[in-house]
Amino acid sequence: MIIDINAWLGVWPFRALRDNTPEMLAARLDSCGIQKAAVSPIEAVFHRNVQLANEKLVEDIEPFSDRFIPLATLNPTYTHWEDDLKACHEDLNMKGVRLFPQYQNFPIDGPLAQSVAKACAERNLPIFIPHRLEDVRERHWMDPGNVVDVAAIANLLAAVPEATITIPNLRGMASCALWQREDLRDKSWYLDLSLAEVHRDVEVLVEQGGANHLVFGSHVPFSYPGSALVKRAILKVDKDTLENISYRHAKKILGL
Amino acid sequence: MDIRVGLNRPKIDVHCHVATQPNSDASADSLIASGDPVGVTEYWCSRPIGGGRIASVDEVRNCNDGVLRAAEYRPDHIRGLCYVIPGYGREAIAEIERCLDAGMVGIKLYNQYKLWDPAVWPVLQLAAERRIPVLEHAGYLTGREHLDKQPLISHGEDFTKASEKFPETLFIHAHIGGGGDWEWTVRAMRNASPNVYIDTSGSNLDDGQIEFAVAELGVDRVLFGSDGTMAGCIGKVLDAKLTDEEKERIFWDNAEYILAQQGAKTLHANSEGVAS
Repeated sequence: MIIDINAWLGVWPFRALRDNTPEMLAARLDSCGIQKAAVSPIEAVFHRNVQLANEKLVEDIEPFSDRFIPLATLNPTYTHWEDDLKACHEDLNMKGVRLFPQYQNFPIDGPLAQSVAKACAERNLPIFIPHRLEDVRERHWMDPGNVVDVAAIANLLAAVPEATITIPNLRGMASCALWQREDLRDKSWYLDLSLAEVHRDVEVLVEQGGANHLVFGSHVPFSYPGSALVKRAILKVDKDTLENISYRHAKKILGL
Repeated sequence: MDIRVGLNRPKIDVHCHVATQPNSDASADSLIASGDPVGVTEYWCSRPIGGGRIASVDEVRNCNDGVLRAAEYRPDHIRGLCYVIPGYGREAIAEIERCLDAGMVGIKLYNQYKLWDPAVWPVLQLAAERRIPVLEHAGYLTGREHLDKQPLISHGEDFTKASEKFPETLFIHAHIGGGGDWEWTVRAMRNASPNVYIDTSGSNLDDGQIEFAVAELGVDRVLFGSDGTMAGCIGKVLDAKLTDEEKERIFWDNAEYILAQQGAKTLHANSEGVAS
């Protein structure tokens, strides 16, 4: 079984994506042997008031409730974001929260982010902070072209150690601040397979004992899911660890 | 998509790097360790100097010696591409001749000059005469903060312009996923010579990249390359909405054809067990 914690629906303003509707994404996942995927609407990244997009997502994926796991997009710079979080959790039954500090323009280790992390932790909701959505070297002039500072995410986790934080789309796993800070090694944080290479990156993290922080994610439909599947196929880990990475960690993160 | 079947199929990687001496042996081992699990049997390697820096002739020669050493150390897997800085004129040509005589199969250029710059012409002329490929570091960078670091990086329009002057030269636009607007740079080569190829390498794994290159240039002009993103780039091709035959051309046949232009053969047999 494979659960993809890094999938998306909707429109990216700077490049045409394919397989970005519920029907098409479900077919793509079928062709890849991926049973479930956590999704949120891409366009919500750019919305000021994100809640309508969250509500629409849940409505859109209702016919695919066995395939898609809804994640909330939260904009903590918007008034009464706490109400959105409550509604996403209690009314929409969403399983996690995606934050985009590089687009929503707030420091990920500041007081506001800490408030969000605490609020999510109180609800046992995991937080997902994509390191980037698109390669900054191809950025459109309207895109700020920033990645999220992993050292700042490490500071956030140190300030709110009860939080669960996943950073999709990171390269350089073994050298990243979360792994380098030994005080955080037993905390609940995860990295996905989408963009990191196995050789001299994922395998180094595994060799150093970090497999408990790995989870399957592909970044489909931005990226080819086949790339993450190849990495999963060649990982030198035992069967139990591979199953952890393929779906058990995702189940634990998402409370499934 | 059957990942296991795809990984077992033999592949030629036209875009790899190994370290300079004295680390080239270990670097070769590391490279092969990255490609073995995904079916790569032949690696075309170079050691360019980045940053647009005009390094000394001796430093360039040391880079190429590292590649030659790696090829000598693992002749069953590694072949060399000779890196030069074209502005050195006759010395650059002499270095290419030295490396070809030692068994290298092509030329590697980086970002010291635009590909169409007259300083590069003697190199492109020699490549045409010897029927060897020229792999050029390339990409259409969109952000000033990136372009300022390599203002002379070539992109698709530069390949088109160079191929108008040297239509018989075998050009390889490096890494479609090496950063930059890949749609722009591929489209810009629509009217280039049919001897202009592009490789699949780079850390950018944007969905649709491979099919886009095939649609714009034709499947015969797309080569498999990794440039350090081995598993990611294998996955791009395996997951592309192409036929098995088209994927075989990218993984093998097109590189075999380029080698054949200079009378060379692949180091191993293809997926049907046939040696060239």
